[in-house]
Amino acid sequence: MARARPQANRLREAPPANQSVPRQRRSLRARWSAWIQQHRESFRSSLRRMVERPWASILTVLVMGIALALPLLFYVLLDNARALSGGLREAREFTVFLQTGEGTDAARRFAAELGQRKDVAAVVVRTPEQGLAEFRQLSGFAEALDVLQDNPLPNVLVVSPMADSRVGNPALLEELKADPRVDMVQYDATWRQRLSAILEFGARAMQALTILLGLATLLVVGNTVRMDIQARAEEIAVVQLMGASDGYVRRPFLYAGFWYGLFGGALAVIAVGLVELAMRGPLLELLASYQNRFALHGFGWREPLLVVAASSLLGWLGAWVVSTRYLIAGRPQR
Amino acid sequence: MIHFDNVSKRYAGGHEALNGLSFDVEAGEMVFVTGHSGAGKTTLLKLLGIIERPSRGEIVLNGADLGRVRQRSIPQVRRGIGMVFQNHRLLMDRCVFDNVALPLGIVGAGREETAKRVRAALDKVGLLDRERAAPATLSTGEQQRVGIARALVGKPPLIIADEPTGNLDPQLSVEIMNLFAEFQQVGTTVLIASHDLHLIRHMGKRVLVLDHGQLIDDFRPQAA
Repeated sequence: MARARPQANRLREAPPANQSVPRQRRSLRARWSAWIQQHRESFRSSLRRMVERPWASILTVLVMGIALALPLLFYVLLDNARALSGGLREAREFTVFLQTGEGTDAARRFAAELGQRKDVAAVVVRTPEQGLAEFRQLSGFAEALDVLQDNPLPNVLVVSPMADSRVGNPALLEELKADPRVDMVQYDATWRQRLSAILEFGARAMQALTILLGLATLLVVGNTVRMDIQARAEEIAVVQLMGASDGYVRRPFLYAGFWYGLFGGALAVIAVGLVELAMRGPLLELLASYQNRFALHGFGWREPLLVVAASSLLGWLGAWVVSTRYLIAGRPQR
Repeated sequence: MIHFDNVSKRYAGGHEALNGLSFDVEAGEMVFVTGHSGAGKTTLLKLLGIIERPSRGEIVLNGADLGRVRQRSIPQVRRGIGMVFQNHRLLMDRCVFDNVALPLGIVGAGREETAKRVRAALDKVGLLDRERAAPATLSTGEQQRVGIARALVGKPPLIIADEPTGNLDPQLSVEIMNLFAEFQQVGTTVLIASHDLHLIRHMGKRVLVLDHGQLIDDFRPQAA
């Protein structure tokens, strides 16, 4: 606050009342600085008010945070599941288990034969020895396997169909199944289709949930701001009588809504981050069982920013709707 | 300054608060509006501040037809009016300085200018030393003076007051009225609704007398 100057001086500076300048004629620069001034004031006062009523503010932010965290969490889970299934879809090989009677040489001949086919891109032979070594490494059954006298595993051909052939590749699949040297063909087409359908369903569910909970946050902020407005009804009435524009009256509430949204969004991001952290261990183990072909999809820097921006906007919007309704209801009637 | 032409106001319930009211007030005049309660004094002031719109007739304030002012231009009209209320309507959660500064905040005046004008206004009502006080700690008369400082801080060409001395004892009332008379002397138009006939007579200014929403007397003192 500026220091008071000597009194006599001040009085001389005050022009007589009838020289009041009409406000419309103020320069653009004066209006700009007035606008900045009012925003600065609203920025400060809205934060101050939140601090003055900590419980109400915290409650609103918490409710918003949780409401936003739910779809967010769902999104993270779905994103990971999708990445996982995407990886699966790429791994389109057939795993062909040969009869145990077939020796490794026969397996190699069979592989070469298959490799000639137009619809086959590559064939890899996995001998029982390789299979056992891999099994030993992965499953933690090392001791149990040591007990085995013979290697019970068959030769396995990993057949990759040509990239452009349709998933399922029925012709190749049927021929392989019919071959007498083949014990069994493992191919998870149905399962994958089912997974895709589940994921699609999950995505829809998430969209619906997001819309519903977004609406909920809008209502939560709206309700909080409505109570703020009611608590300050006298102040609003007084400033309106002094010539406050709708924008002036609304501004502190818009800021308040924005803050609720901002803090709620930040809280949601933090909550999801924590849940992610808690899930990390088990999830990484699960991923390891897929030979680490998939990385854990966590949040980058973009998603949290987007979430916080969206929730701030929601808060602002909720406050706008409520305060505008209040202003319209208070207009003079003829 | 103020021009009322055959103005009527009928409220939604059917109550006719004003009926065919016509009068003019020149710039720089000080006018009392009196009458028993329910005569339409408050409605008259409300029409000036566009808190209500007239049902019929024309009200012109400073060249603006108040019946036709668009919603978004109402604040502009109100900024030209300093309003004083019977119960002062100060914001109790703010200090005296902030209360008086309110109209300046609305127009976005700079900090230095605000400080200067608030202190000038407080000085005029004799409360310069109380600027940091909470309104609740002031006496009723002091609170009303803060309300007056708030009305005049924006240097409006018109000040309207609704029963400004309604809650004050006679001596304080005279002080407050003299304060309004001072504003008139520097050129501000002052319109005061009051039912304190004794006080009005004492002031020796023009008086509009309302009865059941009609103007029954427009008394101008001979001395003036």
